[in-house]
Amino acid sequence: MRFILRRLGFYIIAAWASLTINFFLPRLIPGDPASTIFASSRGQLRPEQLDQMRAALGLSKEPLLNQYFTYLSHVLRGDFGTSFSAFPAPVTAVIGNGFVWTLLLGGTALIISFILGNVIGIIGSWKRGGLIDNTLPPLLIFIGAFPPFFLALLALYFLAYQFNWFPHLHAYSDTIGTDFNLNFVGSVINHLILPATTIVLVTMGGWVLGMRNTMVGVLAEDYVTMAEAKGLTQRQIMFNYAARNALLPSITAFGIALGFVLSGQILVELIFSYPGLGYLLIKSVTSLDYPLMQALFLMITFAVLGANFIVDILYTRFDPRVRTG
Amino acid sequence: MNLSQVISRSKLQLVLPMLVVGSMLLSACGAADSTATPVPAATATKAAAPAATATTATTGGATATSAPVADTPVPAAGKGIMTISVAQQSTWVRNFNPFSGDFRFPTVNGIYEPMMIYNTVKGELQPWLATKYEWSADNKTLTITLRNDVKWSDGQAFAAKDVAFTFNLFKTTDGLQGPGGQAMNGATAYVDTVAAPSDTSVVFTFKQVFTPGLYDIIAQDIVPEHIWKDIKDPVKSTNENPVGTGPFTEIKQFENQIFEVDKNPNYWQPGKPYFQGMRQPAYTGNDQANLATVNGENDYAANFIPDIEKTFVAKDPANNGYWFPSVGATVMLYLNTTKKPFDDVNVRKAISMAIDRDQIATVAEYGYTKPADVTGLSDAYPNYKVADTSTLGDDWTKLNVDKANQMLDAAGLKKGADGMRTLADGSALTYDINVVTGWSDWVSACQIMAQGMKAIGINATVKPYDFSTWYDKVSKGDFDMSIGWSSGGATPFNYYRGQMSQRSAKAIGESAGEDWQRYVSKAGDDLLTQFAAISDAAKAKDIATKLQQTFASEAPAIPLFPGPSWYEYNNSRFTGWPTKDNPYAVGSWFSQGTPEQLIVMTTVKPK
Repeated sequence: MRFILRRLGFYIIAAWASLTINFFLPRLIPGDPASTIFASSRGQLRPEQLDQMRAALGLSKEPLLNQYFTYLSHVLRGDFGTSFSAFPAPVTAVIGNGFVWTLLLGGTALIISFILGNVIGIIGSWKRGGLIDNTLPPLLIFIGAFPPFFLALLALYFLAYQFNWFPHLHAYSDTIGTDFNLNFVGSVINHLILPATTIVLVTMGGWVLGMRNTMVGVLAEDYVTMAEAKGLTQRQIMFNYAARNALLPSITAFGIALGFVLSGQILVELIFSYPGLGYLLIKSVTSLDYPLMQALFLMITFAVLGANFIVDILYTRFDPRVRTG
Repeated sequence: MNLSQVISRSKLQLVLPMLVVGSMLLSACGAADSTATPVPAATATKAAAPAATATTATTGGATATSAPVADTPVPAAGKGIMTISVAQQSTWVRNFNPFSGDFRFPTVNGIYEPMMIYNTVKGELQPWLATKYEWSADNKTLTITLRNDVKWSDGQAFAAKDVAFTFNLFKTTDGLQGPGGQAMNGATAYVDTVAAPSDTSVVFTFKQVFTPGLYDIIAQDIVPEHIWKDIKDPVKSTNENPVGTGPFTEIKQFENQIFEVDKNPNYWQPGKPYFQGMRQPAYTGNDQANLATVNGENDYAANFIPDIEKTFVAKDPANNGYWFPSVGATVMLYLNTTKKPFDDVNVRKAISMAIDRDQIATVAEYGYTKPADVTGLSDAYPNYKVADTSTLGDDWTKLNVDKANQMLDAAGLKKGADGMRTLADGSALTYDINVVTGWSDWVSACQIMAQGMKAIGINATVKPYDFSTWYDKVSKGDFDMSIGWSSGGATPFNYYRGQMSQRSAKAIGESAGEDWQRYVSKAGDDLLTQFAAISDAAKAKDIATKLQQTFASEAPAIPLFPGPSWYEYNNSRFTGWPTKDNPYAVGSWFSQGTPEQLIVMTTVKPK
């Protein structure tokens, strides 16, 4: 319990630090939001309209430090303000639209990648030099070296356009509506295949290699030899003795990877016109939409922190040494 | 101009990894100090792997997919439902407030309508909700007569009180956007009162004479008083179920990734519009939208497509068409006239003569536009533009390296042994040409200009900046050379005011919406004042000619090419699109709403 409280204290400090960075960092970018939105019309708006835009956005002229404290108090009340680039929609509404889809795509890809990667890693290390060990890890590392957007473009061009096997945009078919039924779920899965596979292919290599390397270390431990001497089955030794211990670093990494779900798939979402948060993140930065940027970056940092906190707690279950540490 | 022009990623490259790395460090410290994992080294590498993926993803950059495409079945949209691509988004936010910044197409000039439409191709005002306008003898009172057969989409009658209400709303509320705001709100407001003496007549009383204001007033979309008087905060309303006079008002479907606006059951033009509605799928960028357009999924698109004859028209020559008239605002090279040697008109003209505009038009702009002339005006001003620009004096927009070199010699910029010129004090003529990262046509135009300047002994380097940084620099006068757009409008008034008027000039360091080069012409300013005081067409043309003469002799900035307006259509399900052979209006729709789109929306028919 003391361990968890101590961790909690650390996370509160980390959260405050990220809130502060999220507030100041975007404001270090040159330019101001009203001018940027005005300029993005490329001369279609008259300069006089810039003043109206300033008035509408309610850009404060207060000192930055005062704005910072106002921001902190608003965030504590769950008020993230109004988006500049999607004005006058509140930030929460803008993000709410895409959050589910990003989580669905990222979560699915991460879980599949994690499970497949670790299983391949375990089996590969068990039969070191075997067929799986010789082919899959190098192949996956090779694929993983491609940037995800490159694989996504290839998949889009060949599988969605040339062969027309998969849909090329959106999270579900435009013609079926959003009623939750079997048809809808099927459509969602069908639209998920290409983007998720792209991300899985790119990220799986890391899991395979990490698991394999840890397993190799664990397999040399005395207690594995001991288990073999006891005459336990191969399967029992592989999963209950070796893999269980080797999994610990992977779980830490899983927590961190969960936090990178949003940032890691921006371009994949863009390429498949997937209605997630990736595009919003880019738009908020280029249009200097401070409130949207703050909220999105806050989500990313909190996702990382939250995932790690959960991992910390889980750790106490997996690894008894931590509880006393 | 493609997605990457609007959304460049370099800023994201800067900020995102910083945050990501920051939060990673925080969590990594946390992990290290507490968990006695058997192999901490492995943990660290594992942790880094997904992060590295994240950063490569953001540094990926823009990748164009101008891919040829196999024939695929087109998703079924109902009969008479047009699929269009005008704006780009990943998810749509429901907002039909015409006074806000980010409304959904076609809120302005689609759901709501203006009183009159300036037809750029024909160069005339086309009556719409109003039938005519009339200036008083002193040009200080504008009377507009309205149609009496217009109904709102909820069935109530449209009347002059709605017009007066709309303009007075601008007066009483700060932060509403629209051309009416220029007339009614802020320090530069020129209209004093708006009154509705009868149901079909509106009277605008001006504070001072300002006849170009007509084009602001007639272009303002009118909202119904009976709805908007009850909206507490018009600035922040999202107006989810709009009531308008326009051809398309009914929000049939609204989802994150697609929405459909259907026709107004009470539209005042009998039988129109001819088709049922418009569907807009969310495309995250030009590349995605273009793939769908090339694939025959979009009936209408207003996007830049590279090498369009090959990538789009050739796919289906019978149905696929485009029309890019050069009516957009002229793209200019701005020289900071507060700095030496750009304060010298001959130096500006010499630099202009070193630019190969033909090459820019054919190479950088894919032949979609043509070189600009010494007036700087695009093809949008048939009523005002001087027919033969060679009558305006020396032709400083024609490539002439020899003459340019002579003029620079005469201006006292001596050529050194290396062929590069220096100022009188010996400092080298080394400059950056500022441009926006990823706006590939502009970047290659700047590269062509930089080459040209080498030939006259000026060492110019293309310097791409992220959009907001580029704009910050150009608008505050913090640049030597910068490419940029110019102002447009129904008359040349806005363009020339943006180039050489005291009205637009701001001090260095202060953000200016136009006149970035900080040039003020006494003669030009006088002419602009005269222009703003008259309502007689013949006199206006006369003054406009003098304005062109002034621009041609003073060269406040260097015109490069008129911006083309993008527009592609597919004839397989709809006909009656404006084309080169049937130019009844400019075809390009604009997500913020161009008035002429109303003419197209009420002309196109389903097959």
